[in-house]
Amino acid sequence: MTEAPDPEVAQAAIEYCYAQGWSDGLPLVPASPPLVEAFLATTTRSPDEVIGELEQVGRNCTVYLAAINAAMAGCRPEYFPVVLAAFDALMRERAARGGGWQSTSGPAPMIVVNGPVRHELGFNTAGGAFGPGFRPNATVARAIGLIVRNAFGIRPHVLEQATQGLPGRWSICLAENEEESPWPPFAADGGQPAGASAVSATLLRTCEFVDNRHTGDPEQVLWDIADTISRTGSLIFRDTSAGVVFCPEHAQLLAAAGYAKPDVQAWLMEHCGRTGADLRRAGKNGLRGPARFADPDESADGTFTRILPSPTHVPLVVAGARNAAISMVVRIFGEWSGTAIPLGVTP
Amino acid sequence: MPYPILDPTGTTGSTAAQRPAPPRARRPASLRGATVGLLVNTKQNAAPFLDEVGRLLEERYGAAGVLARTKVNFAAPAPEDLVKEMTAGCDVLVTGIGDCGSCSASAVADGITFEAAGLPAAAICSDAFTVTADAMAELRGAPGYRYATTPHPVAILTADQVRERAARVLDDVVALLTA
Repeated sequence: MTEAPDPEVAQAAIEYCYAQGWSDGLPLVPASPPLVEAFLATTTRSPDEVIGELEQVGRNCTVYLAAINAAMAGCRPEYFPVVLAAFDALMRERAARGGGWQSTSGPAPMIVVNGPVRHELGFNTAGGAFGPGFRPNATVARAIGLIVRNAFGIRPHVLEQATQGLPGRWSICLAENEEESPWPPFAADGGQPAGASAVSATLLRTCEFVDNRHTGDPEQVLWDIADTISRTGSLIFRDTSAGVVFCPEHAQLLAAAGYAKPDVQAWLMEHCGRTGADLRRAGKNGLRGPARFADPDESADGTFTRILPSPTHVPLVVAGARNAAISMVVRIFGEWSGTAIPLGVTP
Repeated sequence: MPYPILDPTGTTGSTAAQRPAPPRARRPASLRGATVGLLVNTKQNAAPFLDEVGRLLEERYGAAGVLARTKVNFAAPAPEDLVKEMTAGCDVLVTGIGDCGSCSASAVADGITFEAAGLPAAAICSDAFTVTADAMAELRGAPGYRYATTPHPVAILTADQVRERAARVLDDVVALLTA
């Protein structure tokens, strides 16, 4: 560009978008027909195709509306297939098709990108995996938030009833650090062949770090992670789901000690949980259907209750830099669908 | 001629307010001899709350009996066969408790659906969720739709407190259900 654009025109367009109620609080890129056409040109899908529907509010999202929102989020047109795949992946989640976006929990999508597309589009695959700082990671996640707000019409304080929400709700898009992971890519756990460009997604209630650079013993690392997963604050149902976004160092330590992903999942399923006394102390020992409640009954005080029922409830991803042994426990809202969405053919 | 800035909502020219208002069911003069439908949304304390409302309607207002059903997916609209069954088998309906982001809106949406099917309905929501309940009513073409409220929170109430709450909301429920 030889000449800088007129800032006052840009400011007026940004303010126009605010005035329409379209913004998540940050400035939007005003979407013009040629820009949105460039997005639509990256997919063979029809602009009219409905890619998600919320029956209870009578709203849906088409490829066309997704393109407008992705453009407004600051995506480049070539990111659009990733946005579509991320949205398709989210629509596999029962919570995202139901009342999840309206929930008092205010859950955040966690998007995981695998395969060559990570580098083709310039996703951050290394340090600072949870952001910020990288346009593809930041804007793909933001596009989902704008779709929920604008296409589904779920706005804060109205149909969206998050009590506190969570930090970075529309900003979690990890590109897996496949190069430094000792394990198959996450998309393989979602049924895609190794080497495929694919996107997975689920909903989170929060993230919590486990800083363990104190030991070379894999079991000690796993015990430290299990302690974080097992805290009572997050337990509201009989079962829970908590994934781990391993840093490369922890993943490599575990792999060197012979742990494949299923071994880590089995270990965590076996060791994560609380005694009946712990649960009773927190008012969460009783069960009415799948829901916990405070029960004065002390008879199960000595029983250890496991909380992770299956490997799908313990998704494992590898992301971040190899510069410190810091991993993240990610608390899943509902249950991961267990499927990764391959990227569509881009003409 | 500059380009337009595109609308990301897809609602231009088709706002909910332009939808025809759904009909409201005809109210009976009293609940004497009425069968009261209780649609329980599985939220904590919803079942004992509605059970007590049903019991009090029998005891104090002469209702003949109750037909209790559970809506498993509290965020979604009541399934069509459930709407048919309760409309055929009941004279009035009480639904709730709207005590979360999605289920409060959903309780109101169900109330409006039952009204349109000909069954007078009273939805009960926690008073922390009136904004989302009102927004849903507007979406369904029924702005200003009336429902009963009970103070938040409901989930942590003891059995005795639930009964007391049911008694407190009873007059509002009766007023919503009768002419």
